[in-house]
Amino acid sequence: MRYSYNWLKELSGTKLSPEKLAELLTMRAFEAEEIRKTGKNLDKVVVGKIVGIEKHPDADKLQVVKVDIKNKKLNIVCGAYNIAIGQKVPVALAGAKLPGGLKIKKAEIRGVKSYGMLCAEDELGLGSDHSGILILDKKLRPGMNLAEALKLDDAMIDLDILSNRGHDALSHIGIAREICALENKKFDYDYEGLKMPSAKTDKIKVEIQSKELCPRYIGAVMKNIEIKESPSWIKSRLITCGISPVNNVVDAANYVMLELGQPLHCFDFGKIKTMEIPNPKSKIPSIFIRNAKKGEKIKLLDESIAELMEDDLVIADSEKALAIAGIMGGLDSGVNPKTKNIFLEAANFNPMLIRKTRMRLGIKTESSDRFERELDPNLAEKGMARLIEIISETAGGKLESVKDIYPKKVLPWKIKLDLAYLNRLLGEDISPKIVKKILENLELRVTSHESRVEAEIPTFRIDLKTQEDLIEEIGRIYGYEKIKPRPPLAPVKPAKANDQKMFEREVKNILAGGGFLEVCNYSFYGVKDAGLAGLGTIKHLELKNPMNPNQALMRISLIPNLLKNIRDNLRNYKEFNIFEVGRVYWPNSEVLPEEKIVLVGAVVMNSSKKGENSGAEGFYLAKGYVDHLLSRLGVMGQYYDDFNSSPLETFRTLWHESRSAEIKIEGSEKAVGYLGEINPFVLAQFGIRQRVAMFEFDMGELKKISETEREYAPISKYPTIVRDISMIVDKSVKISDVLSSIQASGGNLVLDVDLFDIFENEKENEKSLAFHIIFGSADRTLESKEADALMEKIAADLERELGVKIRK
Amino acid sequence: MLEQKILNIKTRAAGEIKKAQSEKELFDSRVKYLGRKSGFNKILKSLKNLSLEEKKKIGPLANAVKKEIDEEIKKAEKIIRSKVDLEKEKIDITAPGKKIKRGHLHPLTIVQNEIEDIFTSMGFEIADGPEVETEFYAFDALNIPKNHPARDAWDTFFIKDQRSKIKDQNLREKILLRPHTSPVQARYMQKHKPPFRIIAPGRCFRNEATDSSHEHTFNQFEALVAGDDINAGHFKYIGQEFFSRFFKKELKVRLRPSFFPFTEPSFEFDISCVVCGGKGCSTCSRTGWLEIGGAGMVNQAVFEAVGYPRNRYQGFAWGFGVERLAMMRYKIDDIRLFYSGDLRFIDQF
Repeated sequence: MRYSYNWLKELSGTKLSPEKLAELLTMRAFEAEEIRKTGKNLDKVVVGKIVGIEKHPDADKLQVVKVDIKNKKLNIVCGAYNIAIGQKVPVALAGAKLPGGLKIKKAEIRGVKSYGMLCAEDELGLGSDHSGILILDKKLRPGMNLAEALKLDDAMIDLDILSNRGHDALSHIGIAREICALENKKFDYDYEGLKMPSAKTDKIKVEIQSKELCPRYIGAVMKNIEIKESPSWIKSRLITCGISPVNNVVDAANYVMLELGQPLHCFDFGKIKTMEIPNPKSKIPSIFIRNAKKGEKIKLLDESIAELMEDDLVIADSEKALAIAGIMGGLDSGVNPKTKNIFLEAANFNPMLIRKTRMRLGIKTESSDRFERELDPNLAEKGMARLIEIISETAGGKLESVKDIYPKKVLPWKIKLDLAYLNRLLGEDISPKIVKKILENLELRVTSHESRVEAEIPTFRIDLKTQEDLIEEIGRIYGYEKIKPRPPLAPVKPAKANDQKMFEREVKNILAGGGFLEVCNYSFYGVKDAGLAGLGTIKHLELKNPMNPNQALMRISLIPNLLKNIRDNLRNYKEFNIFEVGRVYWPNSEVLPEEKIVLVGAVVMNSSKKGENSGAEGFYLAKGYVDHLLSRLGVMGQYYDDFNSSPLETFRTLWHESRSAEIKIEGSEKAVGYLGEINPFVLAQFGIRQRVAMFEFDMGELKKISETEREYAPISKYPTIVRDISMIVDKSVKISDVLSSIQASGGNLVLDVDLFDIFENEKENEKSLAFHIIFGSADRTLESKEADALMEKIAADLERELGVKIRK
Repeated sequence: MLEQKILNIKTRAAGEIKKAQSEKELFDSRVKYLGRKSGFNKILKSLKNLSLEEKKKIGPLANAVKKEIDEEIKKAEKIIRSKVDLEKEKIDITAPGKKIKRGHLHPLTIVQNEIEDIFTSMGFEIADGPEVETEFYAFDALNIPKNHPARDAWDTFFIKDQRSKIKDQNLREKILLRPHTSPVQARYMQKHKPPFRIIAPGRCFRNEATDSSHEHTFNQFEALVAGDDINAGHFKYIGQEFFSRFFKKELKVRLRPSFFPFTEPSFEFDISCVVCGGKGCSTCSRTGWLEIGGAGMVNQAVFEAVGYPRNRYQGFAWGFGVERLAMMRYKIDDIRLFYSGDLRFIDQF
């Protein structure tokens, strides 16, 4: 909220400059977000009296205005028509630089010299009105500096009021009270003395029909009001606080709200329908505080039309709603220049109600801001008393009648504060004397006991409910900077390691070490992306309020966003490897979805090979990385199976069906991961023309299989024998089959088999393979002829089982 | 004599072999001494004309010498072959080395690891929780009641309800993306009793328009310490230690009043400017301080919500953004880069 420095100073008696005051408040109460000197950039703006208006000789829409600025008369060309001879107006002289940024120069407009500009409200930074020239108070002397004339020599301090202090601190007295407590003195303001003047109660009927939504309603009738402009002391403060002056009645209500924090509303009394009452039988204007009817409509002060629901609360007469309670008044029942009699409202409404209604209607007003933070019902009376006082002074009029409905009076409550606990929680040693002083300066009534104090909380401090709330008040006013940092005493105990996190870190390090770049993507993608990636038919969690349609689904796979990364980065790089470790969110029958941490690595290669096997280098490189990763994680015995037993059939459209595999571990049919090229069709959908190979692991599963303990195997003392074998095989023969055949025929004397050459003959549907076979024994030196015999057996078995042609 | 002749050949051959500089010379020597037309061969051929006694004497000698010469030549050949003309092999050592493809961890991972390491070194355990949360853990358990304006401070993403069995909206628990890591506090405390020290790092979401300093997806770090007598001074100490170690310089901590429903008292948490050390510079807008995050002493209502007796324990909780620390560390000026997937950004770390 914006505060007037002069006003705060007047109420609190502080001697601090605006800057020092803002700093004090920031450190001990509320953060000052802005300090602005008002009346700034109005140096060369003066009050002028219009002494002549003539038509511009050469422009239909312009006039030449003669203004008197005390020592001389200036001709000014002006396009506004709300001016008349004798009026006082703001005149910006040549050389003025207005708050709106406009620079004023002498100019010649269609052959007529113009020596300045007559200003509208917005051009002076005093409001938003641009409908015409701002007409000033007739009493102002021509030539006066405008800032001085309007008492704008103030400073605006914008404070960010914490959300639990809206009930008291969104007001000048609330902040003045804070300032006094911070300056260690009593707040000198007769709050108790603000009492409603007595008046008759029979000129108006007020009935609260929805009692739980309206704990208090005070209505007052004032007659013979003269609607006019407010005096400048009111207007200047409203302007400083960012509220545009309207007329003396509305301005008074706003002024009291800024001063005390109580929102108030003024109705035109003449617009309230009368109703017959039985005792004594008469017809009097009647006000009902009732729930709205479903579909009930009201035209509001801002001329918008709100459609209401039964949950909403309205202020109505016997016929229709006059205002939405606590949010905004209706246009019809509002005060207008012809209003003679007024009905004033100071009420208290349920904060949840206000919040619900204003959120649904999308309206936020000074009034709703305060009501939804909960107000003290006792404040309504203070507000009404002050409002009547000001209106009597600025608009004349006489108080006719007051009605106050307040069935459950809110009384002060007490909090016991354990002084040892106070110091134990803050880690300080604050003396009982200081504690008492601080609380008393905040207007709490304190009784001291040996080890504790008892504080009576004034009803305007709704936020003070527990002893911790008091400890906070004492701590901040005492000064948090005085609290000394000190290490906690705790037993020396190693922190329990988070194995999953450590494992994630290891995996990331292995991949980064192997040349992968880590990316982080959003947890969302759009329906469109899911469709493009072939995941469109799988059920996703959906956001109710997404930022945009492209971020409406919770990802079940990291791949769609990685494909976008690949597409974008191909503009700058030809080849790269990236990976992401992140969560995917699978809807299930539980309250919360299943969150799995998934790893996906992607290999993007710039393949030059043509023909059937083109681009497959990426696949094999990715496969190499998978083997490397698994080996580093201590996983052994992985094998690659055709991609067909997946429970997620739909994933098949995402992967290239002839170039993808399930990664399994010996002894299990369950896939621990996937490896493959992404379907070129999907790649094309994402605008990627190169082939992309990826691998995917569920990190939880991967961690499980990597947990087998490693054990040392003794190094053989005996030499090994290496023999090579090369062969031509049909293309359909799998290398894994050749490998297992060799291993099976050779038995345990075959220590290792390495494929070192592979060549595909496109025309003949054949490929040639060459392997190193390593023979050895753990307990003796193998003889050459033993290896020869095994080689013969291996060759024979291969020929018989797989129909290979051994090259001799 | 024949014997002498053989020994002479051996000496001559040895001399020649020693002098030989190239494989060609050695080849010539081999032809000359061991070839079919060599003198030695003639001697060998003439052996058959000798007496048995002489045969017995000369034969082994001749064969031994032949073998010796052969071995000498082979040895010499090996030496010659192993000799490399180093001068001819001169290379341009200023030519660039072969590019080794290196990988890069994401800056958020690097910073996150570092934060975790500092906290674990101080005995903190790392706790974890779901990113898709219930309204209960995200708000209710943290003393943020339904329909309370305090909830406005967290612009929350909600999940569309796909379970339509329960008709009454109020009975169904709302599911949302956690707007802070604080739900992990409640989850952890339900299963553990103080004393403990934990951190809860993780991804959070807020439904806010993105710009250079706001992201709807971000990582938060939450620290929670609870015990019999944990106080605000302890919090100041842990905060000061952590930031001094993270930024590798002595930093000071400043607390200002704040309000969070789950802490009482609540603090805004500033550290002395990591650039100027508190003197005032452009980074800290001349204030000497940087706003880091929110903190406070755990509200007893939160302890109660997880089943601890009121006023039995004391603790502090503290949260800050990982992105902000990474931005300060690396002088990154646009938060959106973290989730851009742009490798020109990532390969700088």
